[in-house]
Amino acid sequence: MSSSKSLRLVAGLLLSAIFLLALGANFVAPYSYAKQFRNAPSAAPSAVHLFGTDALGRDEFSRLLFGTRVSLLLAPAAALLSTFIAGILGGLAAFLGGWWERAILASADLLMALPLLFVLLALRATLPLDVAPLISAMATFLILSLLGWPSSLRVVWAAARNIRESDFLLLARSSGSSPLRVIVRQILPSLSPVLAAQFWVTIPVFILAEATLSMLGLGVMEPLPSWGNLLRGLENPSAFQANPWTIAPLILLIIVVFCFQFILPSRGDLD
Amino acid sequence: MSRGTLPPFSVPWKKVMRLFLRRAVWLMAVILAGGLLGATLVRYAPGYGVDERELDPRLSQASVEALRVQHHPNANLLGYYAKYLTNAVRGDLGISESTQRPVSELIHERFPVTAKAVLLGMLSAWSLAFFLAMLGQYFRGWVFEVSSTLLTGFLLALPSTVIALLFVYFRAPVYLAIACVTFPKLFRFIHNLLVQAYEQPHVLAARARGIGPVRIFLRHVLAFASPALFALLGVSLSLAFGAAIPIEALTDSPGIGQLAWFAAINRDLPLVVNLTLLVTLITVAGNSLADYSGHLATRAS
Repeated sequence: MSSSKSLRLVAGLLLSAIFLLALGANFVAPYSYAKQFRNAPSAAPSAVHLFGTDALGRDEFSRLLFGTRVSLLLAPAAALLSTFIAGILGGLAAFLGGWWERAILASADLLMALPLLFVLLALRATLPLDVAPLISAMATFLILSLLGWPSSLRVVWAAARNIRESDFLLLARSSGSSPLRVIVRQILPSLSPVLAAQFWVTIPVFILAEATLSMLGLGVMEPLPSWGNLLRGLENPSAFQANPWTIAPLILLIIVVFCFQFILPSRGDLD
Repeated sequence: MSRGTLPPFSVPWKKVMRLFLRRAVWLMAVILAGGLLGATLVRYAPGYGVDERELDPRLSQASVEALRVQHHPNANLLGYYAKYLTNAVRGDLGISESTQRPVSELIHERFPVTAKAVLLGMLSAWSLAFFLAMLGQYFRGWVFEVSSTLLTGFLLALPSTVIALLFVYFRAPVYLAIACVTFPKLFRFIHNLLVQAYEQPHVLAARARGIGPVRIFLRHVLAFASPALFALLGVSLSLAFGAAIPIEALTDSPGIGQLAWFAAINRDLPLVVNLTLLVTLITVAGNSLADYSGHLATRAS
């Protein structure tokens, strides 16, 4: 096995382990993410609280597990929606051609011209700050997916255009295959590696964008934890010095984003 | 013309003008569409035109109606947008709802701070990325590849807010934080581009003929890479402005990034929309200028 393949295997296994741990947060976490131990605020790590507690007396380990679940479930969901939009629009642009193609590509270029973080702030500012935590999480990732598709669209469009001009598609059409059959049996299987690559590329981008937004107080709202709002603990240097486990969400975030970088298929694999 | 000399370079003005006009039309389209998007956000945001005084039980129904009329001067979106554009052309970008100061005044105060940080940050990131990418050409091998992949991978895995916090701890200047965010993306692109350029058959032929490394770099490698490098210059401007928001917000630097964050926190939509438009205008103009220069560089090479 080549070194890149074994590295990808290790990254995949590590990601799966973190993902399973996050999915089983209800069973693994000793406490609820919102449960406060009022007599133990900012407690040091101990047998009762593995990673200590935060300033409000909430168990850091439990919050990390639930926060991982929020980030690792919603970022792929947002990436899936974003890739789906890019797939539909990119496919339409390539196969319809003409003005449709120009209009779709121009709108994607237009959206890409807008600075993402500024637009995210503008869209987030339209929503009230005191929304329910779950709605804030959904809204954050929904906004990310609605703004994230243009960068994938160009790639999907280029791949779809190659398929449009391919011999096998011409053969399928001339042999009398219905348009639906052509889409399901010919186009989608040929586009799937590109769509999969775009999906995997987008996930870490969304994880990092959520972390940035939540650290600025505009993403997932308390008390629901996410990696972004858990990282706000780093803003207080004295809390970090008292409990070094405050850095755990950052380490986990770095590991996960690194794993996503390694898990991506190389160009050779796609060929 | 003697053997081996190239014909003199002449600028194809018709093509250049056509490209310039196309870019100008694109810029206008971006501004108008961005403005419409912004106006839609402001007009349909929850709470638009609502005055707390409407809740005062002492006011009669007629007074409440009068207040509503006063706060809803433009019921339809296009009317609102037309008024916004007319005022913007006159330099009136409206009043910030959170600070009660003219938006143009706030931008005028804060823009130089961000512009300086972004330009210095870009300069630092480009210098470091180019230096390391060049170093990679002379120290080829797995040690450089692995160490550069780990360094850039690590920086790419850090949210820009965390980088900003590190710079607050170490009391380092804001522009270095912006450089730190943009550097890994620039380095990976420049490194790959230089590897590709040095593998070109004409570069290999030049090396085989014993032409010096500096001449090869200036005459052949840069000529091959310059259009892509100019395009990257435009993209890096957008990246640097994007990085300015979290960095200025957390380092307490009084620029437009901090102002945008403050406006978003206070749901001050007129301010945040105007700032978005301003940055869009700058980045699109920067991209157009970079593309334009890249086109000229391609023609020259």
